[in-house]
Amino acid sequence: MNNYIKVCDIEKYYGTASHVTKAIDRLSFSVNQGEFVGIMGASGSGKTTLLNLLATIDRVSSGHIFYENTDITALSEDALSEFRKHNLGFIFQQYNLLDTLTIEENIVLALTLQGGGKKKIRETCDRLLNLLHIEEIRGKFPYQVSGGQAQRCACARALANDPVLLLADEPTGALDSRSSRTLLETFTGLNQKLGATILMVTHDAFSASYCSRILFLKDGKIFHELIRARKPRKFFLQEILDVLSLTGGELPDAQ
Amino acid sequence: MLSKLAFRNMKRSARDYLVYLLTMSLISALMYTFNSLLFQNEAGKYYDAEDMLEVLVVLATVFIVWITAWLIGYMVRFMMGKRSREFGIYLLLGMKKGTIAKLYLQENILLGSFSLLLGMGFGILLQQILMAILFSMLRMTYHLHIALHPGTVIMTLLCYGCCFIVSLFRCRRKFKKMNIHDLLEAERRNEQIGEKHETLKQFLMPLSILFLFLFWALFGVLSNDIQICLFLIGLVLTIYLFYIGLSARIICYIRKGGKRIYRGQNLFLLRQFSGKIRTMQFTLGTLTALFTLALMGSSIALMFSAWQNSLLEYKFPFDILLYSPDPTDDFQDEIQFLEKRTEIQDLFPYRIYTDGGNRVNAWMLTHLQAWGTMFQNPDGTPDMDKIRQKLENESVYCTYDTYMGLSDYNTLRAMLGYEEINLSDTEYALQIKLRLEKEVRSVGDDLKLADADGSLSLSCGGIYTDPFSQDGHNGGDYLIVVPDQVLARMYPYYAELALDINGPAPLTLREELNELRYDKINDTMIGGTDISPALKGNRCYGSDTILVFNAVNEVRENLRSSLTYMLAALMIPLFYIGLVFLCVAVTVLSVQQLSDSARCRYHYDILSRLGVKESGIHRLILRQLAACYLCPALLAVLISGKMMLFAGKLFVFATGVPVSPGSFFLKSTALFFGIYLVYFAVTFISFCRNVSR
Repeated sequence: MNNYIKVCDIEKYYGTASHVTKAIDRLSFSVNQGEFVGIMGASGSGKTTLLNLLATIDRVSSGHIFYENTDITALSEDALSEFRKHNLGFIFQQYNLLDTLTIEENIVLALTLQGGGKKKIRETCDRLLNLLHIEEIRGKFPYQVSGGQAQRCACARALANDPVLLLADEPTGALDSRSSRTLLETFTGLNQKLGATILMVTHDAFSASYCSRILFLKDGKIFHELIRARKPRKFFLQEILDVLSLTGGELPDAQ
Repeated sequence: MLSKLAFRNMKRSARDYLVYLLTMSLISALMYTFNSLLFQNEAGKYYDAEDMLEVLVVLATVFIVWITAWLIGYMVRFMMGKRSREFGIYLLLGMKKGTIAKLYLQENILLGSFSLLLGMGFGILLQQILMAILFSMLRMTYHLHIALHPGTVIMTLLCYGCCFIVSLFRCRRKFKKMNIHDLLEAERRNEQIGEKHETLKQFLMPLSILFLFLFWALFGVLSNDIQICLFLIGLVLTIYLFYIGLSARIICYIRKGGKRIYRGQNLFLLRQFSGKIRTMQFTLGTLTALFTLALMGSSIALMFSAWQNSLLEYKFPFDILLYSPDPTDDFQDEIQFLEKRTEIQDLFPYRIYTDGGNRVNAWMLTHLQAWGTMFQNPDGTPDMDKIRQKLENESVYCTYDTYMGLSDYNTLRAMLGYEEINLSDTEYALQIKLRLEKEVRSVGDDLKLADADGSLSLSCGGIYTDPFSQDGHNGGDYLIVVPDQVLARMYPYYAELALDINGPAPLTLREELNELRYDKINDTMIGGTDISPALKGNRCYGSDTILVFNAVNEVRENLRSSLTYMLAALMIPLFYIGLVFLCVAVTVLSVQQLSDSARCRYHYDILSRLGVKESGIHRLILRQLAACYLCPALLAVLISGKMMLFAGKLFVFATGVPVSPGSFFLKSTALFFGIYLVYFAVTFISFCRNVSR
């Protein structure tokens, strides 16, 4: 579906009356269903703010964000919490798993919040554990597993509600290159096989090269856009690096 | 699933905040123990002070509930702050705020119930210990009787529940206000330290120190309520502003590049210390106030304890001593009654005499420190109008001087097992309370009394301070002993009966005597027609203050345990408050330190990479913790020290307890630091473990 998510002329200000910072400056774009979109930009360019706004973590100062026909900027707190529960999945750099629950229980909790019987929850949980290749560590606590495994668990948890949009904030930031590659391949698999819509914020060109489209932000505005189309990933990576070098952006570690 | 999560979270909180859990268990144990005094106090029924103990325990409970609610509220907010990111995740997963609040409530109720159960178990044992101590103080036998009393359990549950409801209700409101963005960003915000106006703020420290100097210099001489109120307001402000000033002072010192920051790890230590004070300056002020109250509570309790240990025996030397305002009373009814109720070994009815003058009373009122120059003319001579007014309107001393014949005196001394004394025809002896001995040494030079002929030729032949029941029976404070022939020109003032009995007195003997003699004493004392007006004013209490106990019928065994019970009624709530305040305050301090240990791990890791050895890191942790622990404790010692030294002096002066005025405060400080040290050691060990984990 085209224009699955529509961001219309949004602005976000921080600070007090005397000292205002404009983090997002009249930004508009749309995401189609089944797209894997990357957001890149230097520190302070507004990429995490944009993700927070799309994730309903933060509210816009002006403008609208539509998920199909729902304007999330007009929803109440309780309605937002329902919206998040049924439509969004989150993956963060620091995994954000609950340390008192096992890997399996972290996923089960998210499923329990969705409702449904024990049998259905168990089945979905097993399917997700299998999909993310973490069945073997299902009984372990987050502090007992590696960063890559923890992030895959976060990914499984994010998929628990069959989300309209999967939001990932620097998901490979705390991972080594091998784990990063595994996770990104998982993302690609989810996107291509299950048709998941993914929006990933990253400053790492290597991670961004797995996306189908990249929006480059600068001072809260989109200043460039790259579309992978049918180009090989390595070629796309070079294009990203070219854009970054042109803008003096951050150079990646993984080339 | 949510219940499972709540249970797991509770387990984690119990592990992370073990000190809090233990303190809550201790508080519930203390609550159970002291509440049992309201329901399971088998000794109470025998004593008049039963109601007093109950009222004071209830009053103490109100303070305890209040301070415990504060601790729970503080901890609930503190844990919430530390777990803000986790709550953010719950929100992201789609949990509603109400559900999160319910989850957190569940966790806290579980944690509270766990510590309550633990505490109640310990409380049942502690209650037995308290009862055993109370019974042994009362010289009664206590048989261990371990059982849960429904009244005590319900009261403890109510108190404990109250603390939780108050604090958790407030936390529910906090949940309503939170939003995901702030929760996820909270940790980062916590690390931001604002340093503004430090140059100005640093002057708060010398100002606070100056006020403390003034406090030490002027506390005893404050004369009116306004001055005292102003001083107390100043003191509260000082407690809070001191920490702002101290932190700013350290920061300014570091900025200036002071000499000491270049020694060892001082720079790191000073930065850590100033940061800690800055983030918890208000809490530190409150902790100082709690420490001050704890020290004061235990010091005052120790004062009463000292009185009980040293003066209770002194106050009642006779087995039984009965007063009658009628000097012709032969005590026949009483003797017949006592023959039935006890086994009398020896008895001696006698009279106290007076010459109708108040030469000795006037000497006392102009020479004892208690009165200062209140009854003196500007030239130092006695102001007889004022003295007469005092004697007629108040009962410190009898209206006229009190005398006793030498033979009666020696008979009574023999009953008490003291040596006989001798007096020549020109001598009198002064029998006085021990506490006044030093003040009346000049009596020999100053006070001449009339002999048998009425001429002022009797001089002091000796001062005796043996226990002699001088709170209204054998005079108030003093008794003049004269050769028997001098009594010929005096008239009997009131009558006394002293008895020596075999074995202990029955538990209710004094009450029975009070009942038997009620009409007789009251009719005679209140407007009895058969008594000469000259004999009125023959009842007095002496100059003791703070603890005054005057009984017409003295039965030593009964009074001793009655007074012990009354003192216990004062001491127990004071110790109760002191102990709980101390534990609450030191728990907050420990939890604050331990919660930082995870973050400090990185600091110490860096130091270790910079070449600091493990032993050096442990020393550094010790210094860091010691500074944070000592700061509020020392300030509290400084403040309460002055007040308690002053109160101790007053107490010793007013009651005559033969101990140094500073001893109460020293002992309570030792007790305080004993408990403090336990918490410090637990925190230090846990901190080191967390850092090296």
